[in-house]
Amino acid sequence: MDTLVDINNVRKVYKRDAFEVPVLNGVTLAVPRGDFLALMGPSGSGKTTLLNLMAGIDRPTGGSIFVDGKEISRFSETQLASWRSRHVGFIFQMYNLIPVLNAFENVELPLLLTKLSKKERREHVQAALGIVGLGDRSLHYPRQLSGGQEQRVAIARAIVTDPTLLVADEPTGDLDAKNAQETLDLLQRLNHDFAKTIVMVTHDPKAAQHAKRTLHLEKGLLVEGRYGAETAANA
Amino acid sequence: MKFAKLIRRNLFRNKLRTILTMLLLAVIFFFVATLLAILDNFESFSNAGEGANRLVVQSAISLANLLPYAHEQKIRAIPGVVDTAKLQWIGAYYKEKSNFFANFAVDVDKFPTVFDDYKVSPQDLAAFQADRRGALVGTDLMKRFNWKVGDRITLKRQIFPFDPELTIRGTYFHPVQTTSVFFPMEYFQQSIGNQGQVGTFWVKVRDPKQMAAISQQIDAMFKNSDYPTETFTEKEFQQNFMSMMGNVKLLFTAVSTCAIFMVVLLAAITMSMSARERVTEIAVLKAIGFEQRLVLAIMLTEFILLTAIGGAIGSYGAHFLFMSFDAGKATQGFLQNLGVHAKTLAICMTTAVGVGLIAGGFPALRASNLRVVDGLRRVV
Repeated sequence: MDTLVDINNVRKVYKRDAFEVPVLNGVTLAVPRGDFLALMGPSGSGKTTLLNLMAGIDRPTGGSIFVDGKEISRFSETQLASWRSRHVGFIFQMYNLIPVLNAFENVELPLLLTKLSKKERREHVQAALGIVGLGDRSLHYPRQLSGGQEQRVAIARAIVTDPTLLVADEPTGDLDAKNAQETLDLLQRLNHDFAKTIVMVTHDPKAAQHAKRTLHLEKGLLVEGRYGAETAANA
Repeated sequence: MKFAKLIRRNLFRNKLRTILTMLLLAVIFFFVATLLAILDNFESFSNAGEGANRLVVQSAISLANLLPYAHEQKIRAIPGVVDTAKLQWIGAYYKEKSNFFANFAVDVDKFPTVFDDYKVSPQDLAAFQADRRGALVGTDLMKRFNWKVGDRITLKRQIFPFDPELTIRGTYFHPVQTTSVFFPMEYFQQSIGNQGQVGTFWVKVRDPKQMAAISQQIDAMFKNSDYPTETFTEKEFQQNFMSMMGNVKLLFTAVSTCAIFMVVLLAAITMSMSARERVTEIAVLKAIGFEQRLVLAIMLTEFILLTAIGGAIGSYGAHFLFMSFDAGKATQGFLQNLGVHAKTLAICMTTAVGVGLIAGGFPALRASNLRVVDGLRRVV
C-alpha cells in the first residue's frame, strides 16, 4: 500500500527549565494513503505530540518524518508553514474558530494563502460548507452556532484546501453524544467518499471504532492495536 | 488586501476597549497638536521679518527704556543703511482687555521703505499718510472685528496716558503679521507731550551680508553715550521678545514628549492584552499556514491603525477646531491666527504611527514568534 506518512525512530524530548522530559522514545509508524488511524493512550503517552509532529507543527528531537515523500523534519519554519497550508487540515477539540469571523470567513481563511480569485475562493468555501451540511449557516458567527456546528465548520476549514492529510486532536472531546456521532460519521465519510487520510487522537474507544485501525501509545512507545503491531513491524 | 477584513474585525473585537484607547490617543494627540501649533505660532512670529533686511535698535538697558530721536540721524548716515523708521509699541486694547492685539506708532512717511514687505495699495497708503489720526490695519484684524475702511475706533490706554482715537484709512497684507494696527508717530508724540524719545528704531539695510557689521557699528557709536543701544536683527528681536516668557519651546517639547511617552505605555498595555487574548487564535492561524512575518504584519497593521486613527481624530480635531475658533479672542490676543498646519499634522500622524510601531512591536513580535504547539496548549 502507498505510504503517506512514514515515521522512523522518532524521539521527542521537551525541556522544562532544567529538566528534560522524554515524550516519544523511538516511534516508528507508517500511515498508508487513504487510512483512518486512531491514536489512543493515556494522558502524557505522547499521542498529541506524535500527531503534531506528523502535521508539521512541532519538530522531533531525533528520527525522521516523511509525508508524501518529503522529509518534513528537515524543513525550516517558513517551509513548514507553507507546506502545512497546502497539505494538512487541522481539526481541534475546542474547534478553535476565529470568533470575529463568520462561518464562511473562517472556512475561507486557509484559502487566503493561495492565489485563488475571490470567486474561486467562494466556490471552494461553499463546497466545503455543503459537504459538512452547513451551507445555510455560512453567515453565522461561531457564537451563533452549536458545538457540533462549530466543529463541522472547523472540519470544513480543514478540508477546504483539499489537503493530503487530515489531523484531528480529540475532535469529539467537547461534544455531546449526538454531535460526537455526527462528527465521527462526517470524518468517516471524508475518509470513505473523498479518500482523505485521517489521523485522529482520541481517548474514546467508541470514537476509535470509527477508524480503520487503532494504535496505542504508552510512555512514548507504540504498544498494541488491531493492526498496530503489524504496522509497527512493517514500518 | 485579502486580510483587511481580519484586521478590521480584530481591531474592533472589543469595541469598548478599542474606542476608549482611541479616545485616549485622540485626547493626547489633540493636546500635542495644540502645543505644537502654539510653538509654530511663536516660531512664525519670530520669523515674521525674515528676509526683510531690517535691524531693530533698542536701549541697551531694556526695551522699556526710550532712545532720543537724535540717534536716528546718526544711524541713517551709516553707509549701507537705506532708511530708518521710529516705531513705538503702544500696548492699547479695543473696548475690552480681551481684545488685545499689537498696535504701534510709526513714522508714516518711512513705512513704505522700511516695511516694504507689508503690502498696501497706493490709495490706502496715501490716505493713511494724509491723516494724522489715520490707522493702517492688518487684514485678519479687520475680519476679526468686522471693521471697514472709514470706521472710527478708539483704543484704550494701558501703558501710555492717552487713548488713541483713530480712523481706519487702509489695510495691509503680510504673510505672518496680519493682526496689527499702525498709526502716526506724530499723533502719539503730541498726545504724550512730545518727549522726543522712542522705543525702537527700525533700520532697513541694503545688503543682508552687511547686517552684522552695521549692527556692531550702531552699538559702538552709542556705547559711551547716555543712551547706549543694543541692535538685533528683526528675528533676534522677536525671539528676545518671546523669550521674556521663558523657555517656552523647551517646556512645551518636554510636556509633549512626556505625553507621547505616556501614550506609548498605555497603548503597549492595551496591545499586549489584545495579543495575549488571541494566543490560541494566532496558533491556529500559524497551524493552517500563516507564516511568521504575515502574522507580524497583520498584528502590526492592526496596532498601527489603532494609534493612527486615535492620532488622526486628535490632531485633525485640533485642526478643525482652531479653524472655526477665534483663539486670539480666547487668549486675549496672546495667540493670533493659531492653527494646526500641515507640518504639525504630518508630525502628529508620523508620531501616531511610531507609537503604534513601538507599543505594538513587542506584542506583535512575541505573537508571531509563538510556537504553534505552545499556543494551542495555552488556556487564556
